[in-house]
Amino acid sequence: MAIVNLHNVTYTYPLTKTPALQNINMQVDEGEFVAVIGPNGAGKSTLCYTLAGFVPHFFKGELTGSVEVAGQESSKSNLHEWVLNVGLAFQNPFNQISGAKYTVVEEIAFGLENTGVPRDEMKQRVTDAMKLTGISDLGDRSPYSLSGGQQQRVALTSILVMQPKVLVLDEPTSQMDPIGTREVFGVIRTMAEKGMTVVLVEHKVEWIANFADRVIALHEGQILLDGTPGDVLTSDLLAEKGFGISRYTSVARKAKESKLWKKDKLPVTLDEAVEGFDLTPHPSPRGRGK
Amino acid sequence: MNSLSIYVARESGLHTLNPITKFVLTLCVLFCGFTLPGIWTSYLILTFVIVPLAMWGKVTKRMIQLVIKISWPFILSVFIIQTLFWGQGTALFEIGPLAPKIEGGVFAFHSSGRILFIMADFILFSLTTRPDTLMISLKQGGLPSGLAYIIVTTLQLVPQFVLKANTILDAQRSRGLETQGNIIIRARALLPLVLPLVIGSLLEVEERAIAIEARAFNSKRVETSLLDIPDTQNQRYARIGLVLFTILLIAGRYIWLS
Repeated sequence: MAIVNLHNVTYTYPLTKTPALQNINMQVDEGEFVAVIGPNGAGKSTLCYTLAGFVPHFFKGELTGSVEVAGQESSKSNLHEWVLNVGLAFQNPFNQISGAKYTVVEEIAFGLENTGVPRDEMKQRVTDAMKLTGISDLGDRSPYSLSGGQQQRVALTSILVMQPKVLVLDEPTSQMDPIGTREVFGVIRTMAEKGMTVVLVEHKVEWIANFADRVIALHEGQILLDGTPGDVLTSDLLAEKGFGISRYTSVARKAKESKLWKKDKLPVTLDEAVEGFDLTPHPSPRGRGK
Repeated sequence: MNSLSIYVARESGLHTLNPITKFVLTLCVLFCGFTLPGIWTSYLILTFVIVPLAMWGKVTKRMIQLVIKISWPFILSVFIIQTLFWGQGTALFEIGPLAPKIEGGVFAFHSSGRILFIMADFILFSLTTRPDTLMISLKQGGLPSGLAYIIVTTLQLVPQFVLKANTILDAQRSRGLETQGNIIIRARALLPLVLPLVIGSLLEVEERAIAIEARAFNSKRVETSLLDIPDTQNQRYARIGLVLFTILLIAGRYIWLS
């Protein structure tokens, strides 16, 4: 059943002429993990703000069409109630720290305090959320003393703890190293398996291929492609329109021209490439091969 | 703690008092000090009220250091100005136009006592009270949460702002901006330093607003708080007692005067 339902959504920011989103129609099922990709200025962040209610409640401007989450319409709700439906975490972790709290635990509890969650329940939820994102050992530190990647996880935890029905993430791993990225993708995957619906904007294509259920490619405010990661991420359209694509896809596409790639489908991940090139399976030194 | 706050974490009775109790105590000490007559009053309050409280809070040394560090320029200038520019009075000595008056010295001693006890009073409060706990208590007492948020974030964000200013300074220097030399060179360096700082901060405001809205900052529900700030019936009585005592003292002083 679709929990997110966007119907003919067109949105123009104030003081601009061209719409940032044009005729967006999308449905996301409950528990689905959808990744959104697109070049700069494609409208990815605007889509996140629209789902999270900041368009139109915060940014004003002109919104037509309907944005529905869990049967409620965003334009008819208030932002402070809507954020309980849709949680938003975004790129720059530094600006997501409230500044009103002295420790990580208190920082994460901020949203729960604002929504009036009783103290005992609050403590439990904060502990659980921190365990889930692997930051239990940071509890007593000042949020400002953390590294970018740690701050990003604190920002993510601060939203997770509010238990929204839909989680919208705008490049939540931008400041992270590969290990941090893997852990966060793992967390998001777990949340999706537990029934939380996830919409994720991300540039790291190989990670998307490994974790997401579905990929939406945005281009100039419109949906260009919508389908499984395998289909969308290997589409020839992406390369033409200037999307970031996996290096394995690029290599295989070159190889296909000289008949070295025999399969119909192009690979996105290392594993798929290794399999498709029919390389003798031997344990790779880093243990990532088959 | 990365903040403008001078709070020192200690295990002490004073630290565990409710912030409102400490706030009331601080204000009562202030009013009493101003109400009671005599030039020794401030010094007596300092010695017999504030210092014992500081010892209870285990922050005496830090308090005295801070009080001296902050108040010496004021005290020095009060003494110089009051003794040298006192109109009529007995001169201690005369060297040309310099004739320090004893009466001026007495007045300066009186003022210095006030400077010292006010400083010590507020510094002791700040040393033993976390700003956020005071704000949570004040919010529970009806202070608008927006106002409380502004006060606490300012204390935390000003040091961040300074850090950012230093980063910009280093960045512009490494691109060859001259920041040292005569006043014209320095003035010319100002714009490339201030513009990125101000514009950057204005852009950050929007993101920060989104971030706190995403955490239901403007929610109409009744706020709860993670930190339990203990308050006891005895402290409530103590607060009422302190306020009544101060009011009676002020009233008594004015009745006695008239």
